[in-house]
Amino acid sequence: MDNPFIPNLATLKGTVELTPDIKLMSVELEDHAIRDGFDYKPGQFAFLSAFGVGEAPFGIVSLPQRADGLEFAVRRIGTVTRALHELEPGDTLGVRGPFGNHFPLEDYRGRDMVIIGGGIGMAPLRPVINTILDHRNDYGKLLIINGARTPQDLVFAPEFQTWMEAPQTTLELTVDRGDEHWTGRVALVPDVLKEVAPSSNNAIAITCGPPIMIRFTLEALKGLGFEDNQIVTTLEAKMKCGMGKCARCNVGDKYICRDGPVFTFEQISKFLEQP
Amino acid sequence: MDSELIQQIRNQARDLLESGAVKGIIGYERASDGLTARPFFAYEPDAVERLIFDETCTHNLVKYLVDKKGERMAILAKPCDSRALNLLINEEQIKRDQVFIIGVYCPGVVETSWNQKGQTQQPRCQTCQLLKPVVYDFLAGQEPARQPEAEVYSDIEEIESMPTAERRAFWLEHLGRCIRCYACRQVCPGCYCPECFAEQLDPAWVGIRIAPEENELWQTIRTLHLAGRCIGCNECERACPVDIPLSRLNRKLEKQVAQLFEFRAGLSPDEQPPFATFNKEERLGSEE
Amino acid sequence: MNLLMSRDDLVRWLQLLLQERILLAPMRVQGLVLFQPVSKVEDITFDFANTTLPPKVWFLPPTETLFSVRSCDGHTELVPATVEQQAVIFGVRPCDAKGITLMDSPFLEEPGDALYRERRAKTTLIGLSCRQAQPECFCTSVGSAPNDPSNVDILLTEIEDGYVVQVVTEQGKALLPQGLAEAGAAPPAPPEPQAVPTEGIVPAMQMLFNQPYWERLAERCLHCNVCAYVCPTCYCFDVRDYPNKGNIERVRSWESCQSPGFTRIAGGYNPRGTKGGRLRQRFYHKLLYFPGQFQEIACVGCGRCVKACPVNIDIREIISDLQQLGAKSG
Repeated sequence: MDNPFIPNLATLKGTVELTPDIKLMSVELEDHAIRDGFDYKPGQFAFLSAFGVGEAPFGIVSLPQRADGLEFAVRRIGTVTRALHELEPGDTLGVRGPFGNHFPLEDYRGRDMVIIGGGIGMAPLRPVINTILDHRNDYGKLLIINGARTPQDLVFAPEFQTWMEAPQTTLELTVDRGDEHWTGRVALVPDVLKEVAPSSNNAIAITCGPPIMIRFTLEALKGLGFEDNQIVTTLEAKMKCGMGKCARCNVGDKYICRDGPVFTFEQISKFLEQP
Repeated sequence: MDSELIQQIRNQARDLLESGAVKGIIGYERASDGLTARPFFAYEPDAVERLIFDETCTHNLVKYLVDKKGERMAILAKPCDSRALNLLINEEQIKRDQVFIIGVYCPGVVETSWNQKGQTQQPRCQTCQLLKPVVYDFLAGQEPARQPEAEVYSDIEEIESMPTAERRAFWLEHLGRCIRCYACRQVCPGCYCPECFAEQLDPAWVGIRIAPEENELWQTIRTLHLAGRCIGCNECERACPVDIPLSRLNRKLEKQVAQLFEFRAGLSPDEQPPFATFNKEERLGSEE
Repeated sequence: MNLLMSRDDLVRWLQLLLQERILLAPMRVQGLVLFQPVSKVEDITFDFANTTLPPKVWFLPPTETLFSVRSCDGHTELVPATVEQQAVIFGVRPCDAKGITLMDSPFLEEPGDALYRERRAKTTLIGLSCRQAQPECFCTSVGSAPNDPSNVDILLTEIEDGYVVQVVTEQGKALLPQGLAEAGAAPPAPPEPQAVPTEGIVPAMQMLFNQPYWERLAERCLHCNVCAYVCPTCYCFDVRDYPNKGNIERVRSWESCQSPGFTRIAGGYNPRGTKGGRLRQRFYHKLLYFPGQFQEIACVGCGRCVKACPVNIDIREIISDLQQLGAKSG
């Protein structure tokens, strides 16, 4: 019986502590055939099972062509994420997926890209950035604005150097509160966006972060002349099946697990129910 | 329906709304079956014409006040319901000066469900120990020509007399039907925890499994949380879609608390509930 | 061509079915009528309006195990739950049968829910036409009827000394005893439930999403789960792992969109935290979103929610209110 609720067994290969509460978890599917057939694109997600506790959905932050295993940035915030954080390399977990739609990055070729992330919101944006970097000549300018509460909470710090050094790429980091070593910006992400003021001409903005950041970032983008169909985000929700069956993750008639999680603001503005 | 009583209620409600003394009235209106009652929130003076009061008004409306913190509301309260008001005032869920209590002299209510109206009074009305609400700002109706009754626990004694195995089988059978809709909890004025223990997942005290043993745990713990607090409105049993005799759980503890502590909940807003009060003078059975 | 079955024929037939399969039938339980597995035909109640809980309790049980996790020598194995036995559900009202067909849409569409699909394939439905319409019934207003055979394998309609038998599917035909006589006359006309006009409901709902109507109606809603649990077409569920006698089981249980924490994510954000938003969600799912996805209203007019709601939230009243509000808004 082919039960879509049964996860695939996987082994935790390694973890990197990205921030005090976020770990980069590298996971390898046990079954070779499933591993080889697991094809995914930036924006898609998978359920990770901490057996004995349950499952939760996480954006896949790796790229198939760059990594052997699957990478997830997991923030310890609830019962499942706490159990996942307690796993050691070599432990068994479950993976179900990939689910959802993806960022249509092929459609954005030739355009300037503005990537705006706050906190754990950087996670789904990392494979977007890496795709652009892997096909650098296919895209125009790349502006990355990455904010967090404190310098310790900036996710993917190990990759900042690579991002900054890429051609035609600008990385603007900012924090809400600095510390004794921080010499960078102390400002909210939407304010940085207004200050840097990227041109909206032939540009696409992709943003992800806490709801309040999205709200003010959206305002700032529109102030810069970005149209709703030039602004893209990825929504999250409490999910239990990932397949449109448990009827929980809907925003109006759209299921975030199937119609999303990637949506343009033009689509979202037409939603009956607002996320 | 007692038209004089209803007119008193409507006049008082209208005055309160027109003067701005309250934001809204929580009362009863006729249900969609044209026969029974349902809760009704009136916010405009003209809406008071929809207010009713009769023997189908069994609902305890006090629960609704828990969500109305910061808003001045008026509420219709039967004597039994008024005990819930005292309970919530005592537990600081309601501020006394934020609620205008329209008390009613209640002639007793019948069993109702949609499109069904019983012919005889509910058992709890037949043994009602109160003649009028224990707290009110305005009293509608006329004092009934009866005496307060003494509480009778024959329904509890029947179960107490069962041998343990039979009693366990009785409860497992009834609680086996529970579908964990939580209607009993949602309707109960004593259940207002922002996160109920049954919904906690860390630790998972009960968990999400809907099965006899888990259901038993759910109901038992809820009953224990109501010990010394349940005011006997019987809303839990009325709301239950699968007819579990919940009153027999709550009344069991009510009987024990009355016997052990000579205490009944909700009779005064300043009472000292046995399980929420610690007196240093109480003997704890150990050396002091 | 309809067949005839006497009461005795029916009892004998059910006794036979009972020997080879699980037989679920309406049983009186403490004053309620519930679908239960019966061990003898005498336990079945043939005289009932409708059961308190719909036959969805079989296809999507209140709780079921999806799979177990077994650890042995450091090696983990996932053992899926299976559905082994054939089953028959006797006494399914046409409205409830339609409810099952409506639930097929989300559960059988790719990727199909394996447990649901197995149970569906292994279960035969013996329907029972309604002789009377109850005050809460409105099946004819939502695409069903008291004698609608569309969603069962066999439909029985009671007549004076037995039943008219309509054979609807091959699966039903295979189960029938041999040698039944042909029915002479047509079965009696069905009763007429109250009509609830539903024209214009879908466009009305499109317009009325942000109306204060929902928050006001929700004031008396208790946000329990009664309406969703007694409903033949509500199917939201929760999934969580639990220890069970040394193993871990992944369990699926009923939950409903009315539950205050239904959409709350870890960390505390709740996109549907208001009472009005949650109440509105249930009616929008049934009357707008589900029809948008599957071209049918997810309500079969059984009236169980009307009967069971402790505070009289009445879907028929809501449909009528929405139509009026819709007409006013133009």
